[in-house]
Amino acid sequence: MDRNSPPPPLRKRRITYVDLVLIGLVVAMIAYAVYRVNDVLVYNWNWDRVFSFILRYDEETDRWVTNLLVQGLLTTLRLAIWSTILATIIGVIMGYWRRCNNLSLRIISRAYVELIRNIPPIVFIFIFYFFISSQIFPMIGLSNLRHDSPYMDNALFRILFGDPRLFENFIAGMICLAVFEGAYITEIVRAGIQSIGKGQWEAGRAIGLSHFNILRDVILPQAIRKILPPLAGQFITLIKDSAIVSLISIQELTFLATEVAATTTKVFETWILVGAMYFVLCYFFAYVFGKLEQRSARSNG
Amino acid sequence: MKLKNIIQGFLIVPVITLIGAGLSSVQAEEDSVLIEIQKRGVLKVGMSTFVPWAMRDKEGNLIGFEIDVATRVAEDMGVEVEFVPTQWSGIIPALLAKKFDVIIGGMSITPQRNLTVNFTRPYANSGQQMAANIELAGDKSTIEDFNQSGVTISCRRGATPCTIAQKMFPKAEIRRFDDDAQAFQEVVNGNATATISSAPKPRFWTDANPDKVFLPFADENLTKGNEAFALRKGDPDALNYFSNWILLRTDDGWLQETHDFWFKNQSAWIDMVSIDQ
Repeated sequence: MDRNSPPPPLRKRRITYVDLVLIGLVVAMIAYAVYRVNDVLVYNWNWDRVFSFILRYDEETDRWVTNLLVQGLLTTLRLAIWSTILATIIGVIMGYWRRCNNLSLRIISRAYVELIRNIPPIVFIFIFYFFISSQIFPMIGLSNLRHDSPYMDNALFRILFGDPRLFENFIAGMICLAVFEGAYITEIVRAGIQSIGKGQWEAGRAIGLSHFNILRDVILPQAIRKILPPLAGQFITLIKDSAIVSLISIQELTFLATEVAATTTKVFETWILVGAMYFVLCYFFAYVFGKLEQRSARSNG
Repeated sequence: MKLKNIIQGFLIVPVITLIGAGLSSVQAEEDSVLIEIQKRGVLKVGMSTFVPWAMRDKEGNLIGFEIDVATRVAEDMGVEVEFVPTQWSGIIPALLAKKFDVIIGGMSITPQRNLTVNFTRPYANSGQQMAANIELAGDKSTIEDFNQSGVTISCRRGATPCTIAQKMFPKAEIRRFDDDAQAFQEVVNGNATATISSAPKPRFWTDANPDKVFLPFADENLTKGNEAFALRKGDPDALNYFSNWILLRTDDGWLQETHDFWFKNQSAWIDMVSIDQ
């Protein structure tokens, strides 16, 4: 077989006995779970009540309108996008500091990364939230914003940040998530910068570029290509992680779901539905990013 | 290295400012939250969803006993009301962090809570209620009647009702269930004599099954809770205002009337919400 002949075809996938047994076991487990829920739990399933919190038929205007859970989903999405942007800024700065020559900057970025990575997210968010909301917000005047001013009460603002009355709440959640995820992005950026060979720095220096110029024009453009796939993965992780800010009452999907569950008393339906909403959102992004990655891999030859 | 100095300067300035801000907020003599509310024109109320205190109607808006109370307080103050839905477990820290001005959230007064927050006088007295099977307990009307061997009381595991059942009915058999609805279903099916749960759930259950279940002690609750507004400490002016507001609205019957609307008869508002009976 010479090198130019096509690769041998993949072996045809056949269903073996092992597969049949495994599939049978899975089906049996699902059937058992359904049986337990229906006959032993004696649970009254009622999906309509929960569905009405996604879409609701408004009789006055004769239209279908979105309800709490969709608003929550949008808030989650906004949170994830804005936090990723902010966390990327933090991550690029801290990631550079991790590798720079200044000792105090290295200590700061190292301390930041290790601190965040070694305490549970919930603990961090509880401490950080009460600190920023009681100290930083009043200081920068965020707690005294006029929600009905024309700067906040317009369509663009609503698309970008949601309900102006919940702006402070939204920002608190966004900063918490960004500072938290920033530590992970720092490590991604550091790995990206480190992966660029020493020769690139030396070549830059040889043609007389300044340190900053090497970083901006030589290292980062190459590093960013390597960073993008893990960054996309981190974005999806952030969508899921954003559920923890429901504990500090940020009005996102999980928080509104607790409200819906408490109101309707339909706990299982609410959480199954919310789980499905998260799944669709995350799977969608994973699919899109996967396609983009394939395309860029192809265009790079 | 000039750039480094600048970067370090950028770091040191905010750190010092933060420490300064922390110190100044400790030292500053604070105005009463009453003045702040009037300046802002908005009363911010912390609450948590709990039927029928506060819940969501079909449009996703907040309704309930507490929502009515808070709206009326704001109306009497001449300001707008803004609700801040908050997780119950974090509601006191959120009050202390000034996320809102007052908790109107069906919070009962306890000595432990009172160490961290101030309470007004109570604006509602809820408590635990009992619903019993008509066939098994139709002739029972006193606490002693239920404190017999042969009586079975169902309740939700790990909650106040089970503790109360044990304390008040030591001779009865206690059966624990994972949720209220199951505990109640046992009474409907005749497997348990009675069930205990926080008011007004037992009343709503009996309304839904009038031929099977009844309230043995009518309007008497087994225990009495004292729900009050909670405020940050060190603000006697606000405490005085809200306490007296409750006094006035208790005396003119408004609080009782509103309470009855939400707690007495579910059919008065069930159409507004997508609640499961």
